[in-house]
Amino acid sequence: MYELRNGFTIKEKLEILSDAAKYDVACTSSGSERSGKEGMLGNAVASGVCHAFASDGRCISLLKILMTNHCVYDCKYCKNRAGNDIPRATFTPDEICTITVEFYKRNYIEGLFLSSGIIKNPDYTMEKMCETLRLLRTKYMFNGYIHIKAIPGASSELIYSAGLLADRISINMELPTNESLSRLAPNKTMTNILKPMNRITGTIAAHRAAIGKDARMERAVINEHLVNSIFNSGADKPLSGIDGSSEPLVDTKSLIKTLTEDNTFAYPADIKDTRLKRSFAPAGQSTQMIIGASGETDLEIIHTAQNLYKSFDLKRVFYSGYIPINEDDALPALNTPVPMLREHRLYQADFLLRYYGFQANELLSKERPFFDNRIDPKCDWAVRHLCDFPVEVNTASYDKLIRVPGIGPTGVKRIVNARRYGRLNFDMLKRMGIVLKRAQYFITCNGKMLFNIPLEEKFIINSLADSEKKETVRIGGKDITIKQMNLFSDFNVMSS
Amino acid sequence: MNVFTCAPDLESILSCIYVAWSSGLGHKNIKIESEPIEQLSLFDSYTHVDKDHAMVQSVIDAVNLKISPSFYSDLAYISMAYEKDVPDLMYRLMLLGFAYGPGVINNTCYEVVVRFHEIKKRLSNESCRFKEVSRFHEVRHSLYVAHIEPKSRIVITLGPAFSDRMPSENWMVIDDVHREAVIHPKNSPFYLRTLTEDEFNELLMTEKENDEYTDLWKIFFDSIAIKERENLKLQRSLFPLWTRKHAVEFT
Repeated sequence: MYELRNGFTIKEKLEILSDAAKYDVACTSSGSERSGKEGMLGNAVASGVCHAFASDGRCISLLKILMTNHCVYDCKYCKNRAGNDIPRATFTPDEICTITVEFYKRNYIEGLFLSSGIIKNPDYTMEKMCETLRLLRTKYMFNGYIHIKAIPGASSELIYSAGLLADRISINMELPTNESLSRLAPNKTMTNILKPMNRITGTIAAHRAAIGKDARMERAVINEHLVNSIFNSGADKPLSGIDGSSEPLVDTKSLIKTLTEDNTFAYPADIKDTRLKRSFAPAGQSTQMIIGASGETDLEIIHTAQNLYKSFDLKRVFYSGYIPINEDDALPALNTPVPMLREHRLYQADFLLRYYGFQANELLSKERPFFDNRIDPKCDWAVRHLCDFPVEVNTASYDKLIRVPGIGPTGVKRIVNARRYGRLNFDMLKRMGIVLKRAQYFITCNGKMLFNIPLEEKFIINSLADSEKKETVRIGGKDITIKQMNLFSDFNVMSS
Repeated sequence: MNVFTCAPDLESILSCIYVAWSSGLGHKNIKIESEPIEQLSLFDSYTHVDKDHAMVQSVIDAVNLKISPSFYSDLAYISMAYEKDVPDLMYRLMLLGFAYGPGVINNTCYEVVVRFHEIKKRLSNESCRFKEVSRFHEVRHSLYVAHIEPKSRIVITLGPAFSDRMPSENWMVIDDVHREAVIHPKNSPFYLRTLTEDEFNELLMTEKENDEYTDLWKIFFDSIAIKERENLKLQRSLFPLWTRKHAVEFT
C-alpha cells in the first residue's frame, strides 16, 4: 500500500475517494423526517430525494465517499483491497465537512454517505469517522441526512456514537453465507458483522420505545392489511433471534441466540454525543449483499434477506451485481457480464416481501432455486398458482388483489376506494393505472375476463414473456436469449 | 358552443367561471379556455373575461361554504398547471362538487375526476422534480440563486421545501419561463415576486459567475458512475433533457 504523493488537491482526493465508494449501493436518503431549524443547515425528508442520476442510471442522493481508500484488509472482490496497486488518498474531517455543506447549499446532495477502508485498525478508522460526523453536527451545524458505514470489528462505544450522530447506520453483509465470507473476505467474520448488527437493532428499538414509538421500524401501511406479511407474522416475537419457521440460510442461529442477552450499546465514545439529544439511527439500519461473486442461489439470498428483515428489523437490504474488477481464482473471470437481470429480479422479490405480503418460500423452492429470467417473480408465482385465479375485482379482498400481477399497492388502494361508488369495469381499471397487459390473465370484472383467455400455465407464461421481452433484454443485455414464439406449440393452435 | 376565455392565472379563471356560470347558457353549452387560444373555431362564439376581485371572492366563498375548503385548495392547486383544459376542468369539478359534495373528488368513476388526479399528480411530480434538480449558485458572499424552467407555475411550491432546508441562508429561485421568483431572506419567511424586465435581465447573469464547487460537483458526478453499468437511456428517462437546462453537471 502506498500513496503516489502526499499533497493531493481536494479535487484529486474527491475523484479517488468517490470512485472508490461507487460500488456501495446502499445510499438512499430516506427513512428520516426532520424539519429545518434556524441557525442550522438542512432537514431530512422521509421519502428521500434524488438530486441527480449518474450515467449508469443510478440515483445520486448523497455525497458518497470513502474517508480513505487505504485498507489493511484483503477482501478479494474489493477494489480497495490491500493487494491492489491503486492511488490511495485520505480526506481530513474538515475537508469532508466543507464539501458536504457547500454541496448541500447548492442543492446537489441530500446529505453525506461516509464509508471507509480500514486504516491501521477498525477502531482508529471508526474514531476518525465519528470525529468527522461530530464536527459536521456541532461546528458546521449540519442538520441534513447522514448515512455511516459501521466498520466490522470496531468497538461498541464508537458504533454507538456513530449511530447517535447519523440518520442511518449500516454494516455490509457482502456475502450471504459464512463459507463465502471466509473464502472471499478472510479478514471478516460473520460474528463481526452480526454482533454489531444485533446491537444496533436493539439500540434502535430502545431509542424508539423511549420516545413513544413502536420498537419496530415503520413499514408500508398496506402491510397492516396483509395477514401473510413478513412484518406481521413475527410482530409478536422478540426482535432478536431468527424465526424458527423460516429456513435460516445464515448458519448463525445459535450465534444470534447467544447475542440476544446483550443486545444494546451501553456508552458512546464521547459523552457529548448524547447531549445532542438525537435518536439512535432514526432511519434504521441497512445492509448490502454482492450478487454473483459466490455460488449462492436466489433462494438462499432471498431467504437471508427475509431473515434479516424479520430478525434484525432492517429497513432495507440492497443487492449489488458483482462487477469483475479483480483477477482471482476464487472470483468469476474478468470478462463475466454484470448480473443485472438477476439483481433486478432480486429487487423485485425484495419488494414482494416488503409490500405485497409474500414470503420467500412462496417465491422459490429447493427444486426451483433461481428466478425465471423471462417474467418477474410475481407473474412467476401467479402462473404457478392458477387455482387462485381469476379474482373478481369488484369483490376481492386486499390480500387477493395485491397478489394479482399488474396491480400494486397504489392500484389496490384506488380499486378499493372506487368500489365504494359503483362497480368497476376494465376501462376504469385502465384509467386507474392498472397494468392490464399483465393483470388481464388473472382478473374478472363483473364476472367476465377482458378477452377469452385460456387459464393455462404455458400459454400465460409465453404471452407474459413476449410482452416483457423488450424490458428483459434491456436489463439483461446480450446474455439473455429470447425464444421465437411458435404458433402451434406456444398457443396451442392445432393444425387441421 | 360558447367559449369563455381568460388569462391562465387563478384569479382570471375564477372570474371566468363566475361569468360563464351566471350566463345562463346551460353547462353543456359552455367551455372555458385559457389564453392564448391557438386556433379559433368557426362555429363557436368567444367571450374574453378579465379578472374581477368581487367575482373571485364570490366563487371562493361559494366553494368554501357549499363544498369544502380542501376542495377549493385542490382547485387552486391545479390552476398552476400549464394544460389548456385546466379552466374547463375546474368548472366541471365545481359542478360535481356542488351536486355531490366534497367526497366526489375521490370518485374515479367520473372522467373529470380522473383527469383532475392526473393533473394533480403531474404537478406534484413536476414540483418534486424541481426540488431535486434546482441548482444554486453562490453569487455574492452567502447569496444563493437558482434558475429553473418549469412547464407549470410551480415555483411557489418550492418555497416551503427550500425554506425548511436552508432557513438561515439568503436564497432565491427564479422561474425563467413565467418570470416569477421565490425570495427567501435569511431567517425570514419567503415571498413570491413577479420580476420586472430589468430585474430579470440582471438575475440572468448570476449563472455566469464562477463557483468553485461546481467543478468539484462535476468531478464527483463523473466519477460516481460505474462504467460497466452505463445506461444513458435510463438516465434520460429519470432525468429528462427538459429538466437539465440549468443542471450544472451537464454544462
